Amino acid sequence: MKLRRLKILPPKGSIWRERAVFFLAVIIGMTHFLARESRITSYMTDDPQACVNCHVMTPVYNSWMHSSHREWANCNDCHVPHDNIVNKYYFKAKDGLYHASVFTARAEPDVIEIKEASQKVVQENCIRCHVQQVTQVKYDGWLEDHNENRTGRQCWSCHRTVPHGKVHGLSSIQYNIAPLPTDSNDNVVPAWLTEAIEEK
Amino acid sequence: MKNKILFSVTIIVVFLLGLLASSIINRKSEAKYKYVPKVIIAENEPRNEIWGQNFPKEYQSSLRTADTSYVSYQGGSQMRDMLEEDPRLVILWAGYGFSKDYNQGRGHAYAIEDIHNTLRTGGPKGEGDGPMPATCWTCKSPDVPRLMNEKGITEFYSGKWADKGAEVVNSIGCADCHDPENMKLRITRPALVEAFDAMGKDINQVTHNEMRSLVCAQCHVEYYFNKNIPGKEGVPYLVFPWENGMTVEDMESYYDDIEFSDWTHALSKAPMLKAQHPGYEIFTTGVHADRGVSCADCHMPYKSEGGQKFTDHHIQSPLNNVSNACQVCHREESTKLIANVYERQQKAHENRLHLEDLLVKAHLEAKKCWDLGATEDQMDAILTDIRHAQWRWDYSAASHGGSFHSPVETARVIGGGIVVAQEARIKLARLLSALGYNEPIEMPDISTKEKAQEFIGLDIETLKAQKAEFKKTLLPKWLEEAKQREAGYDSKKVASASN
Repeated sequence: MKLRRLKILPPKGSIWRERAVFFLAVIIGMTHFLARESRITSYMTDDPQACVNCHVMTPVYNSWMHSSHREWANCNDCHVPHDNIVNKYYFKAKDGLYHASVFTARAEPDVIEIKEASQKVVQENCIRCHVQQVTQVKYDGWLEDHNENRTGRQCWSCHRTVPHGKVHGLSSIQYNIAPLPTDSNDNVVPAWLTEAIEEK
Repeated sequence: MKNKILFSVTIIVVFLLGLLASSIINRKSEAKYKYVPKVIIAENEPRNEIWGQNFPKEYQSSLRTADTSYVSYQGGSQMRDMLEEDPRLVILWAGYGFSKDYNQGRGHAYAIEDIHNTLRTGGPKGEGDGPMPATCWTCKSPDVPRLMNEKGITEFYSGKWADKGAEVVNSIGCADCHDPENMKLRITRPALVEAFDAMGKDINQVTHNEMRSLVCAQCHVEYYFNKNIPGKEGVPYLVFPWENGMTVEDMESYYDDIEFSDWTHALSKAPMLKAQHPGYEIFTTGVHADRGVSCADCHMPYKSEGGQKFTDHHIQSPLNNVSNACQVCHREESTKLIANVYERQQKAHENRLHLEDLLVKAHLEAKKCWDLGATEDQMDAILTDIRHAQWRWDYSAASHGGSFHSPVETARVIGGGIVVAQEARIKLARLLSALGYNEPIEMPDISTKEKAQEFIGLDIETLKAQKAEFKKTLLPKWLEEAKQREAGYDSKKVASASN
């Protein structure tokens, strides 16, 4: 109806009418297909598995999986802003579309490096969690020299291996496998053994 | 005209959408071919080298458990003749297999070879022969889950050790702890699952971090063979005595309640318990367990090779790998850390030897009582004390790492053991005196393993000859049969990634 008001569709009776309807359907169908193939809804979540939809992210996924941050922070906790939800999804969309374009253009580098806008976000997220250690004088975990270090440089100028390790890029993994988070075990006892125990 | 332009633009849009779709699909299939395993590993594939084709780093580090060069104060990877180092053990285990032969274990790679070689398994001549039941294979090999799957659990435990010699040939490895589908940790031994059931716990609810200890707890625990399970009478069914708990007292009361004994002592006639290796149980009482450290954290820490981080499958003493095992948390010199460990072990050892001496004397004094005509009524309380005291001694000794894993608990157990052993000896002194013998008993010469074994009446030469005969005749047949069987296994190669 709206389309008609916008006068995009040709008038009834015109031979263009059918063609237009057909091609509109093609575009809508194709868009849905694309959304499904690219698992577009997964990008709305905080699940780290969404980041390895593209296999080039497997090395950083694995180095995070093998780090102690795994237990506390997922990709989004560090790599998107958390000041407000609009900003979070705006940044995520901006970053994500940039990644998607590079990936589609096959222009991804062997070693992925963080851009400036992203650096700011990560730095703020370091402080977001480690706030007591670097800003709160009254707390036990307060580290005195971090007052200056926090403002004068970035956390990873010193903490270089946190959390992705000292070797970055494809050579840091042997296999392009992104293991599932380890606690989502269905069962630790194989089905045949459970059956055999019940049988006896 | 407008329509024609719109038409052309739409065609271009659809074309570009198609291109994008094709690109997404292409890149997704690319991801699939980024990792292609070399072989498809079957459920319960017992051959470690097959798993190793897909996971060479982990497999090759596990091969290093064959290294026997490291010796620590009380352990290491070298075979050490424990009876030679301390012949008193022969007296403590008189009448039981351990008095024949007892060695400090080597790495996992030797699990099969060492059980072939030990005098405890004797020299069977064929099926149905030999001193040990099939249950003894349970912890030795990834062939065990395969067999349990094929035959059933009770059927696996039935029969003699020799009956399954041709079936169990691969040393402890991948399939014992890993799911071939996704390499997650899994439990393959029913005894642990059943022990959790007995405690009213569900093993499927444990965390990954707990699993990093529980896969070890499939074997490195106290266990016994229960021949009285209803419906399977006579089958030496492997059971962990955890129903009341895992402390030395909990397990003791469990055994006392069911009146179980591993053997009757040849000298004192006491109904004895043999603590196997309650490593996991003692570990859980220690400070490392309390802080959430798992077995794998120290015994198989992360390792880096060429920038790739992976779990070191060379399972060994952390003292041989202090930088990865200890210094990740403890910022001290490695010599200092090792000295800290040895100090705990030496102090526990000191009191354990006192308890050991008391037990040797108690066994000999009890024998003297029998020789002087003591009655069962008179001996009953004494024998119970000997049983309980030696259980404590063994609980603290057999868990090898216990004096480091939990020095306070180990000290407590040894201390309790000394009290009980002294109680036994006070009762023995009274009884000896009542029987008209009021002086120290004569101690035999047990200064060497040979003298001690001769004293308890073991004919080691015959045992050795039987073993040699077994290794010459039956063992090669087993290995040949296993080779034939495994040649028939279907190892599914995956087509190369370029296809």
